[in-house]
Amino acid sequence: MSTRDLVLAALFAAIIVALGLVPPIMLGFIPVPITAQSLGVMLAGVVLGAKRGGFAVLLVLLLVAIGLPVLSGGRGGLATFASPTAGYLVGWFFAAVVTGYLSERFVDRSQSGIVQIAGFFLAALIGGVVVDHALGILYLAYGTGTGLSTAFMGDLAFIPGDVLKALIAAFAGRAVMVGYPLLPRRA
Amino acid sequence: MKTLYVEGDTLLHRLSPRPKLLGLAAISFLLFLIDAPAFLAVAAILGAGAYASLRLGWRQSWLRLQMIMLTIMVVAAFTLFLNSSGQALVVLLRLTALALFAAAVTATTNIGDFIDEITLAARPLERIGLVRAADIGLSIGLVIRFVPEILNRYQAIRDAHHARGLRPGPLTLAVPLIILTLRNADEIAAAIDARGIRARK
Repeated sequence: MSTRDLVLAALFAAIIVALGLVPPIMLGFIPVPITAQSLGVMLAGVVLGAKRGGFAVLLVLLLVAIGLPVLSGGRGGLATFASPTAGYLVGWFFAAVVTGYLSERFVDRSQSGIVQIAGFFLAALIGGVVVDHALGILYLAYGTGTGLSTAFMGDLAFIPGDVLKALIAAFAGRAVMVGYPLLPRRA
Repeated sequence: MKTLYVEGDTLLHRLSPRPKLLGLAAISFLLFLIDAPAFLAVAAILGAGAYASLRLGWRQSWLRLQMIMLTIMVVAAFTLFLNSSGQALVVLLRLTALALFAAAVTATTNIGDFIDEITLAARPLERIGLVRAADIGLSIGLVIRFVPEILNRYQAIRDAHHARGLRPGPLTLAVPLIILTLRNADEIAAAIDARGIRARK
C-alpha cells in the first residue's frame, strides 16, 4: 500500500469517527434522525474502493478494540465486541469491502450520472445493507443464542433507515467522484 | 480524545496485555461453548468480581457499562417474549459475563501497550507481505490526529449553511467534508515520505 493510500484510509477512518461525534442529522421528509456512522462505512467503500475503504473501517474497529470511545454515543472498548450487536460492527469491514469492490465493478467515469448513482446505490445496498445485516443477524441468532426468527424480527426495524443511507451514499459517492475522483479504475 | 483506560495499580493493571487478551479469548471461547446456566452464572459473578477489583466506584462503573447493558437487556427481553425464559437467561448471563471481562481488560490496558501488542501480532502477516506492522501504529496516530480537524471542518460547513440561510442536509454536509478532507492526502503523504517514516530499515 502506498503512503497516499495509507493516508487516504486513515483520513476516512477519522471521518467515520467524527461522524459518530456530531449530532444526528435530521432529514426533511422523515422524523427519524440519521446516525451518520454507518453511512460513513458505505461512503468509505463508495469513495475509496474495496482495499482502502476496507482498511479505513478496519482502523476504526482497531481504535474501538484498543479502548477509544470512537463509536456513536461514546461506545468503545473490547466490551463492544461482546455486545449482542457485535455482528453488525464486525460486518462493517465486510460491508466496506463489498461496497467498494462492487462500486469499482459497476461504476465507470464514462457513464452518465444516473447510471453512476444507480451503480453506487446497488453497491451500497448489497454491501452496506445485505452483507452487514446478514452478519449482524447471524451473530445475534447463533452467537448469542437468541434464535434466527427473533434476531430477524429485531433487525427489520433498521432496514428502512439503512436503505435510505445507501441512497444518500450513492448520491454522495457520485458527487465526490465528480469533484475529486479517487475510485480505482477497473479494466 | 479520552480513552477508556483508567490509571491504577491493581492486579489486572500489572498484568501485561498479552496474557489478558489471551485470557479474554479463552474465556469467550468457553462462554460460547457451554450452555449450562449454572456455569454461565458463575462466569458472570467472576466477571463482576474482576471488574469490581478495579475499584472504579458504582457511578463510574455504571456510566461505562450502561450502553452495553441496555443492549443486552433489550436482546434478553426480546428472547424472553419470542423464545423461552431458559434461552433468555442464557443470553443474559453469557453476554453480561463477556461484557464484564472485556470491559475489565479495556480499563486496565493502556493504548500504547495495546498498539505494541497488535504490531507484534502483525509481524507474521508482514512476513507474508500482507501489511507492514509499523504502519498500524502510524495509521492509528494519523486518525487520532485528524479527528479534531475534521470536526472543526464539519462545524465550518454547518456555519456556512446557516450563513446562507440553508438547512444542512446529509448530502450537502458529507460531500464537501469528504472532498476537503481527502484533498489533504497528497500533502500528508508527501510529508510522511519526506521524513522517511516509512522507509525500509
